[in-house]
Amino acid sequence: MITVTNLVKRYGSFEAVHGVSFTVGEGRVVGLLGPNGAGKTTIMKVLTGYHRQSEGTVVLDGKDVLEDPVGVKSIVGYLPEGVPLYPDMTVAEYLGFVAEARCLEPSARPAALERVVEACGLAGFTDVRIERLSKGYRQRVGLAQAIIHDPAILILDEPTTGLDPNQILEIRQLIRSLGAHKTVILSTHILQEVEALCSEVLIINEGRIVGQGSAAQIAADMQGDERLECVFKGGPDVAYDSIGALPSIRSIESMEGSVNGLTRMRLVVAYGEAERAAEAVFDWAVASGAKLIEMRRERLSMEDIFVRLTTEEVRP
Amino acid sequence: MSATSTIARREISGYFNAPVAYMFIVAFVVSCGTVFFFLERFFAAGQATMRGYFSLMPFVLSILVPSLTMRLWAEERRQGTYELLLTMPFRDGELVLGKYAAAMFVILMALALSLPVPMMASMFGHFDVGTLVTEYIGVVLLASVAVAIGQTISCASRNQMSAFMATVLILLALSLLGQVPVWLTMPAWLAATVNWLSLSYHFLSFAKGVIDTRDLAYFVLLTLLGLYGSTRLLSAGKWR
Repeated sequence: MITVTNLVKRYGSFEAVHGVSFTVGEGRVVGLLGPNGAGKTTIMKVLTGYHRQSEGTVVLDGKDVLEDPVGVKSIVGYLPEGVPLYPDMTVAEYLGFVAEARCLEPSARPAALERVVEACGLAGFTDVRIERLSKGYRQRVGLAQAIIHDPAILILDEPTTGLDPNQILEIRQLIRSLGAHKTVILSTHILQEVEALCSEVLIINEGRIVGQGSAAQIAADMQGDERLECVFKGGPDVAYDSIGALPSIRSIESMEGSVNGLTRMRLVVAYGEAERAAEAVFDWAVASGAKLIEMRRERLSMEDIFVRLTTEEVRP
Repeated sequence: MSATSTIARREISGYFNAPVAYMFIVAFVVSCGTVFFFLERFFAAGQATMRGYFSLMPFVLSILVPSLTMRLWAEERRQGTYELLLTMPFRDGELVLGKYAAAMFVILMALALSLPVPMMASMFGHFDVGTLVTEYIGVVLLASVAVAIGQTISCASRNQMSAFMATVLILLALSLLGQVPVWLTMPAWLAATVNWLSLSYHFLSFAKGVIDTRDLAYFVLLTLLGLYGSTRLLSAGKWR
């Protein structure tokens, strides 16, 4: 459980985060999404106690980051951006050090090591010096150190950058399974990742939250955004314009008449009205003798949401 | 306590993997031998004393100890592991103390390995064991101040090289300060102040075989000041 209230972070005179508030419940995987420099990493650094906030409160599982920094750090697993590691250590030495630093009992360490080596696909690499590992394997070591103490809260800054597609799938699978009983916050600018992993999204732009909720909820907040694409077969004698007057349909966005005997149109439909609108179009087609050969609902994609929230709208 | 030893052991393994520790130990032992047999002309002097040998220790340590302390924090910054350490459940003081202990461990090893120098010398004359012990206590205290100051400078530095240069300069300045009243005529109170600040001045009584609580206090105070400075710098960094 993470509660952030009115978080402000200033670096000198530069204000990186202006008053962000959000809550993340247990067993949720929340994605921080935003363009570069939006403040995602800053928020994560404050959550982990690496940077202190200028204003506001941050409470993780009942522990305030300013009042009980060591307590917070002991329940958090953190993968910083760029995956810093000690290159002179072997994987096993390094993970052993982290286990010790994370206050794991000596008797519990071998089992923990075995668990993360298995989970992160590091078997056979435990005696390799970290400086000799490829980027993908370093990423795995970074993830392994973040989960070795089985933390209640996991904070991952861009966990899949630099991995190949197979590794990305594996790491996502791992994060998903961890997310079942942990609180996970991850930052990314890969939109599919958010759709694949996160139960909730926080879209951040210029230090503010500009969108919050599941992808569907955010789309709902941005009302009037569904499109219905229809293709009709039939002559030009049908009065297609009259579709615009049907209930639930706001307007005709575009219409291409009689290309190869087909008429294509895009209709703008109020959010949540798409089903009724589709029904109305179907009934209209039957009544007016137009042959409806294709009808497709276009949902607002994560890309669309992202682009709109981070470029078009400038909220106060 | 266990947190401190975790950090210290990680740091020691870093020293030996780098391998800064081996180079430090070799350089230290070689400089000790050079100072003893060539600069001090032990055999020509014909005296059963090592005072001259130890009086050069402040300078040897001023140049060698920074090679150990320069990496303590500057290297963590460069690697980004700084962020890792500061998000692990350590108190800032434990991190600083652990790193201090690691550097001291390497120095103590080097000192132990330099013991053959006085042991060989003792074959040629009767040395006062009490004086030798006091002299070694003095060297350990001197090293402790050097490590504490070096760590603070490393904490404030962007890279290892500038940490090294700055630490050498400050330690040499503190050592040479004892010479200033010898070279220049100055009022007694000023000379006393300058002497009080000087590392070599306080070390000199140890080299003579005298343990004075004022000298002891000076070394302990400077060490604590250095450790406190590093801790404050770490904490201050989190606000930036």
